Amino acid sequence: MALEPRRNTYQDGPAVGRAVGEGRTLAAAMPRLILEARHVAATVIHGLHGRRRAGPGENFWQYRRFVSGEPASKVDWRRSARDDHLYVREQEWEAAHTVWIWPDRSPSMAFASARVRDTKLYRTLVIALALAEILVQGGERVGIPGLMRPTGSRNVIDRMAQSIVHDRDERPSLPPTFAPSPLAEVVLLSDLWSEIGDVRRTITQLSGSGARGHVVQIVDPAEETFPYWGRIEFVEPEGAGRITAGRAETWRIDYTARVARHRAEIRSETDRLGWSFTIHRTDRPASELLLALHAQIGASTSTSGTRSTVTQSRTLA
Amino acid sequence: MIGGLPIGFAEPLVLIGLLTLPALWWLLRMIPPRPRRIDFPPTRLLLEIAPREETPARTPWWLTLMRLALAALIIVAAAGPLWRPPLATSTSRAPIAILIDDAWPAAATWQARMRTADDIITRAEDDRRAVALIPLSRGAQDVSLEPANSARVRLQQIAPQPYAIDRAAALKSISKFLATVHDVDLVWLSDGTDLGHGADFVKALAKTLDKRPITIVAGGIPGPHALAAADNAAGSLSVKVLRADSSGAVTGSVRALDLKGLSLGEAPFAFKAGALETEARFDLPVEIRNDIARLEISREHSAGAVQLLDKRWRRRTVGIVSASTADMSEPLLSSSYYIQRALSPFADIRVAQGESPTDAVAHFLDQKLPILVLADVGTVAADVHDRLAHWVEDGGVLVRFAGPRLAASDDDLVPVKLRRGGRILGGALSWDKPQPLAAFSRDSPFNGMTVPNDVTVTRQVLAEPDAALNDNTWATLADGTPLVTAARRGKGLIVLFHVTGDTRWSNLPLSGAFVEMLKRIVDLAGTTNVAATASANAKTAHEIVPPSRVLDGFGNFIAPPPTARPVPADFSGSATADHPPGFYGPPESFLAVNTLAPSDRLGPLNFAPLANARHEIYRTSEPLDLRGPIFLAALALFLLDAVAVLFLGGGIQRLIPRLSRSTAVILVIISALSLTLPHTRAEDMQIGKVPPAALETRLAYVITGDPEVDEISKAGLAGLTLFLAQRTALEPGDPMGLDIAQDELAFYPLIYWPIAPGAARPSEDALKRIDTYMKDGGTVLFDTRDAVVAPPGPGGETRSPGMMELRKILSSLDIPVLEPVPRDHVLTKTFYLLRDFPGRFDSGQLWVEALPAENDEDAASRRPARGGDGVSSILITSNDLAGAWATRTDGQPMLPIVEGEPRQREMAFRAGVNIVMYTLTGNYKADQVHVPALLERLGQ
Repeated sequence: MALEPRRNTYQDGPAVGRAVGEGRTLAAAMPRLILEARHVAATVIHGLHGRRRAGPGENFWQYRRFVSGEPASKVDWRRSARDDHLYVREQEWEAAHTVWIWPDRSPSMAFASARVRDTKLYRTLVIALALAEILVQGGERVGIPGLMRPTGSRNVIDRMAQSIVHDRDERPSLPPTFAPSPLAEVVLLSDLWSEIGDVRRTITQLSGSGARGHVVQIVDPAEETFPYWGRIEFVEPEGAGRITAGRAETWRIDYTARVARHRAEIRSETDRLGWSFTIHRTDRPASELLLALHAQIGASTSTSGTRSTVTQSRTLA
Repeated sequence: MIGGLPIGFAEPLVLIGLLTLPALWWLLRMIPPRPRRIDFPPTRLLLEIAPREETPARTPWWLTLMRLALAALIIVAAAGPLWRPPLATSTSRAPIAILIDDAWPAAATWQARMRTADDIITRAEDDRRAVALIPLSRGAQDVSLEPANSARVRLQQIAPQPYAIDRAAALKSISKFLATVHDVDLVWLSDGTDLGHGADFVKALAKTLDKRPITIVAGGIPGPHALAAADNAAGSLSVKVLRADSSGAVTGSVRALDLKGLSLGEAPFAFKAGALETEARFDLPVEIRNDIARLEISREHSAGAVQLLDKRWRRRTVGIVSASTADMSEPLLSSSYYIQRALSPFADIRVAQGESPTDAVAHFLDQKLPILVLADVGTVAADVHDRLAHWVEDGGVLVRFAGPRLAASDDDLVPVKLRRGGRILGGALSWDKPQPLAAFSRDSPFNGMTVPNDVTVTRQVLAEPDAALNDNTWATLADGTPLVTAARRGKGLIVLFHVTGDTRWSNLPLSGAFVEMLKRIVDLAGTTNVAATASANAKTAHEIVPPSRVLDGFGNFIAPPPTARPVPADFSGSATADHPPGFYGPPESFLAVNTLAPSDRLGPLNFAPLANARHEIYRTSEPLDLRGPIFLAALALFLLDAVAVLFLGGGIQRLIPRLSRSTAVILVIISALSLTLPHTRAEDMQIGKVPPAALETRLAYVITGDPEVDEISKAGLAGLTLFLAQRTALEPGDPMGLDIAQDELAFYPLIYWPIAPGAARPSEDALKRIDTYMKDGGTVLFDTRDAVVAPPGPGGETRSPGMMELRKILSSLDIPVLEPVPRDHVLTKTFYLLRDFPGRFDSGQLWVEALPAENDEDAASRRPARGGDGVSSILITSNDLAGAWATRTDGQPMLPIVEGEPRQREMAFRAGVNIVMYTLTGNYKADQVHVPALLERLGQ
């Protein structure tokens, strides 16, 4: 997965150069991430199979009584010949969905506090790859908005990884505006520290076409607990500004309140749209989030009425 | 000097910098520490939080304090602090005048004074100030300013004077000097001791100075002590110890030395706090006390601390007056002779000669002797009798011996009433036997003496028995009659021996008890009045005696300086510049002149009249520059501060993971090193270098380089080793091959050296080593192995090729005279009794060092390579011993024997055993031959 540098692009400016550098770092880390993703996916797949409901598909699901009004062609005559009833053969539902997964690769994701092994970015990528693997194995098609078209190929992880590594563009926090099909699902993996307006706008826009979605906030523990004290200058990695706290420990209460408010705003938006909102901390195992996501994706497709279930991975654990 | 602490500053002005500390404190409090920079993604949220408390985190108070301390330390260090700073003079450019007390009180601490003076001069030199030195002992002198370096030279020439100086004599010079030089910085290096006129001098000096400032340096060093008024009283010698400052309790000791400077005794003294004088007392036997010529205070080197004693402090002078005419005609039988002999060990004796007893007594009374002995003097003329009685009342001790004259006279100068006549015991007309001495009275001075049993008295004068008789009796005879009686008269004492001083009446004067009795009586005599005695020396009154040995200021004897002048023989005052303390006159009757007269006292000098004085103390040690330690402390604080900042700034957390890894590595390396190093070292020292030969006795052979020869040598020695182990108590280790040029030879008692034809001659160094080995007691067995090829005929053996080779080898060695083993050589007897020493061949001889001829000891000592224990250092054979000894591994001999197998092989082994035993036991076996004879002799 070696990067083939096109030298003329290096002259485009420091942003691109930095992106290339980051791409290299990412490429170096990618085999590990892929391995981890496969590992995580394997543990999840082990326990979950199919959709467990009738629907369009190839595998036999069940026989059910014929209900009058149904087209006669649906009757399975071989089965019906055994007794006096008419039976309809139902196949397991295997409709191939499109799932758009958005891993946030912005600079702010490259953050890991002192006691955490993985940066948020790595965790995001692991989740994204593992989720794609699971979904593809489940028959879905997986794509990355603006980066990779939906595919159901078996080597989806490799393709995703390649496309991520070879991406030379700016890396925004939130996905570009696009219109997913009404049956598609969107999985938004991000730290969601952008302006609440942007977050709200993005979710609204994505849900505009009727697609369902799952918003996952991936945070570092330090971003929740704010374990700082003393005189500290905080710098926003994406260049949004900096602020010096004279005594950081006095900011803690305000900060946690502010984070809670931010999350509440996101949650109110997702609840309104029937999306799910999950918070994942990088000091938790990745499989935990994956299980939750998988369950939610399954649940959202089966129970259209109660889509607004919000599960926090922490509560699962 | 700040606040009593001996701290000074080179640049005190820098200390003003300490005033900036409050400002620094304010700054440190106000300026917040540099913030830590943290990339924090949710900073956007932080931006929205209204900063409700904008006061930045302050530096912790202890950090501020630490930094202030750091700043203060640096400022203090920059000011150049000195511990025990040198004596400060004013910093003006005026010349310095140094008044120096250079009398004996300064001598004991002269070094400190000179150091202080030198400090002052050095600084004057630095400041380019002139210096005037005014030693106060010089009196009127020409005081002038001089450059500092010449002043220093002059300072070296000043030495303390051994006598008390009159400081006032220098006043005139000082005032003259002050008149010429107006602006002058005066320093008085004082000894702080007032020897009598100190107060006057201080007052006069104050007047002379006229409110000029003066720096008085005194104290800081031990004050002077002095000895005076030595008094050789009855029973002990006492001396007064004086000091000038009464502060504190001081103890010390006074040593007594004889004329040769040998120590006779030591007496402690202790000053109570506040006391200016105390006493040291020597409780020594009078003979030893009389040898004391010099008393000195231990470890105080000054003339004042020395008290010289001459004859006047010695024996009490005893005058002996005898009335017997026999004294003149038969002096060796006279009583005065016996008394003189008995007194001479401890008293100075004057015998009246050619005078009537009355005149003699009068004469002695004029001399004021403390003791008079009247041997059988009946009466003296009335006026002299009165004087004598008076003298006794005043403390004289009158010792009388009885005799015919006393018995016949009527005298009241006796302790008890006497019967007229006398008593004869054991004579022809008496039934009584001579009476022995029975007892000494318990109250008498004779108490404690053993009663001699050989003293008998044949005649005596008898006392009238009365009530007081018992009390006055000191010694009694067996029948209870008194032998010695005594009575106090006023301060004095009259003692009467009831026998004569000679042997006519008793044999008491021949007894040792007589000496002891007289000694105890003399000890009772009052102190000799020194002055009186001296003045009584009428015949020497007008003599003057020149100085023979005088004291310098430090109390050492020196040759008299040219300025020392003779003193009258009756001189008894204290020393002066003209008459320095010391011994005067001829050695046999010298006169001691002391620094301090008996009445002299020391006192502290009162500086109060000098109102403008600044007081300093002497410096006893170099000033200590405190800058280094303070800068170090500041550095330590700085590091501490850096650590604290790192810790506060959180950098420590970032460092720790890396640190811990690297430190762990370093720790592991260090511990590994520390674990391994001692081991390797220990191995090196213990086992590694010890050659195996040092641990076990081994035979050795020289590796010739010819493999065949070497193999035979090795096998041969191995065979001999086996044989030795089988037949004898010796079990050697495996034989060793030696490279004589390199291997240490000292471990091997015997080295077998086969001469290989054509082998390279050993190097000079190797031969030197062999020579050393042989001279140090080793034995080399050369084997040319060519007895069969030797030319026939007498002496042909010595011309064989191997022998020629050997000769070449040994030509540079110091080889003693050799001879074939004689029949009586110990080699033939060391284990087996052998006649010859065959190897594979039996035609060769074994040559050894020639034994010295029986009666030629010199030849023995001339042998250049003396074998230790008489072992021949060289053995030469041509019989190829190793060839005979060599056995294969299966036990079979390697080489055939010329003839006589197996007997000759056995004999070859036996020869080898004898040779080895010979080298190991030496002449022990030679002595063993005598064992039967010894046993036989013991049996009888």
